[in-house]
Amino acid sequence: MQKLIKTIIILLVILSPQALPAKAATTVSVNDLIENAKELDGQEVTIQGETIGEAMERGDYSWININDGTNAIGVWISRNDAETVTSYGDYKNIGDMIQITGIFYRACKEHGGEADFHVDTITVIKNGYQVEEELPISKRIVAGVLTFATVAIVLLYIIIVHNKVEKRQV
Amino acid sequence: MRARIKTYSIEIISYYTGYVILVVALLMLLPIFTSLVTGEWVPMVDFIISFEVSLIVGLSMILAGRRTKWRSSEFQWKHGFVIAALSWIVLMFLCALPYWFSGHMKSFLDACFDVMSGFTTTGLALTQDLDHISKGLNMWRHILTFIGGQGMIVLALTFLTKGIGGGYKMYVGEGKDIELVPNIKDTAKHIWRISIVYLIIGTTSLWLVGILIGLNPVSAFFHGLFIFASSWSTGGFAPNTQNIMYYHSALYENVTMVLFILGSLNFGLHYAVWQGKRSEIVKNIETQSFFVTSFLACVLALFGMEKLNIYPDVMSDFRRIIYNILSAHTTTGFGSVYARQFALEWGDFGVGIMIIVMLIGGSACSTAGGFKGLRVGIVFKGLIMDVRKLLTSERSMKVYKFHHIKNRVLEDNIIKSSAVIILCYIITFTIGTILGTYHGYTIMDSAFETASVTGNVGLSIGVTTTSMPAIMKIYYIIAMYLGRLEFLSAFALIGYIGGGVKKLCKNLLKR
Repeated sequence: MQKLIKTIIILLVILSPQALPAKAATTVSVNDLIENAKELDGQEVTIQGETIGEAMERGDYSWININDGTNAIGVWISRNDAETVTSYGDYKNIGDMIQITGIFYRACKEHGGEADFHVDTITVIKNGYQVEEELPISKRIVAGVLTFATVAIVLLYIIIVHNKVEKRQV
Repeated sequence: MRARIKTYSIEIISYYTGYVILVVALLMLLPIFTSLVTGEWVPMVDFIISFEVSLIVGLSMILAGRRTKWRSSEFQWKHGFVIAALSWIVLMFLCALPYWFSGHMKSFLDACFDVMSGFTTTGLALTQDLDHISKGLNMWRHILTFIGGQGMIVLALTFLTKGIGGGYKMYVGEGKDIELVPNIKDTAKHIWRISIVYLIIGTTSLWLVGILIGLNPVSAFFHGLFIFASSWSTGGFAPNTQNIMYYHSALYENVTMVLFILGSLNFGLHYAVWQGKRSEIVKNIETQSFFVTSFLACVLALFGMEKLNIYPDVMSDFRRIIYNILSAHTTTGFGSVYARQFALEWGDFGVGIMIIVMLIGGSACSTAGGFKGLRVGIVFKGLIMDVRKLLTSERSMKVYKFHHIKNRVLEDNIIKSSAVIILCYIITFTIGTILGTYHGYTIMDSAFETASVTGNVGLSIGVTTTSMPAIMKIYYIIAMYLGRLEFLSAFALIGYIGGGVKKLCKNLLKR
């Protein structure tokens, strides 16, 4: 009886329009995947996020990591599909925004119990780009003023601490 | 006469605190160089500003206490403890500047939290958008945790041009007490020599494994260097949001596991083994204690998880259960599962085991935190000693011993001081847990997170976020600091400040 109630509750959660849909083409966040890992384990879901770091090739497949702002997750993807990603996010770059549909595994047997995502389809929603650095004028001024102050105190240190006259007095 | 001595104490503290600040400030040249090489101009300017501010503060303090340079003979224990405690606090603020300038922190308090987390080799992070931070800032985060592991005082002592009488007192003030060689400056040098050899071996291993798992060679080098720094110092920081899960590699995880277990061992043990005394590994009370507690924790956790049927096979058990248990026990904090998975999947039994091993921690005089295997071993042996004494004749005068680098007599005062430190950890842990539950977190979540900060571990169950109440952030900073310095230095600083304020008030009232 208890088992039946639990099954009904899980079904209601999965099927409810307000809750986390497990249907393909319906996007869920990475945090939602983790928070509802038991319910969504082995289900086909869609997630979207920015590709970060770099692709790591492993034979015919690659690992890429995506971050959707709530959390990041490893994505197991064929090498051909991984090549559609052209930009990965780091300090100087914003990565491609991709939407992927595939199977979520809470504890993937193939990958040592890792919570991961096996991709069936990938779509690049928005291409990544290089970020232009802007150095605020205020920082330049502060750095300049502090340079003078630092030189002054270093000179003071050399004069006072290494002053042999004072050493003799002490 | 008394007034002159008081002034002189302040001068000693000011001089040596300034000196420690100066040495740590010079470390900012490394991220400046990294930013220069990688063409990250804004972070470079951030570090130049922070470097200049730190240099000004450090030199000003040295100038204020300049007469100390020729009066080292008056160095007392209280000075050593206060210098160690004060240096960490001043450096927390100074080292937080590049974090704050980077724009990746929501508040200066968060920046201080991350710095203290680095210094104490805890590894919890409030840095936002970690996947987009500069190489310079990542270098800084990992330098802080690497230096914190060996100790800022140890670093400063290494660069002293001549030995000082107070060196050992400052060294002890930072929670370390083992003398590898009779001279404290040489002891500090030996600690660094051991760490640098492992730095070369560890970084090269991780670099090669990084290339093997598909990272490009340049990026594999930076990842290798950063992950080594975190592993060896039992820190737990990583350059990306997913922590160790970013690499998706059992081999990479295994290399880090070897490194963090080595990092959690006593520097005295490393030195003894380097001197050819390999039997020390088996005889030492700390390694015995670590082996027993980690074996028991792993077996119990495996049984607990098996009951819950969480992981599908042995490989998964090893990579998710054993790895996290050892990461927690060595107070490293690399997580191979998501923070929330502990709360949602591991159950109270699994979380309970994690709390216990996080509190126990690694070895004394190592890079690890917690109340240390040495103390657990001593208290346990003390308990056995008392039971045996009860069961034997009163005339029997048997001397009980334990082995830690050399054979030592198990005296009541050693047992008492170990028990007192363990009690201090338990009190800090209890207060933090109560504070967490007061702010609405469950008791298990709150206990897990507090054990993680008190033991300087860095694993999270999801409590440590930027939205956490400010009072909890402040308490966690204090808990990390107390846990790392093992209470005494912080108490000495409070006592010193309290005593100063009391005398000042008395003088004012007299007037």
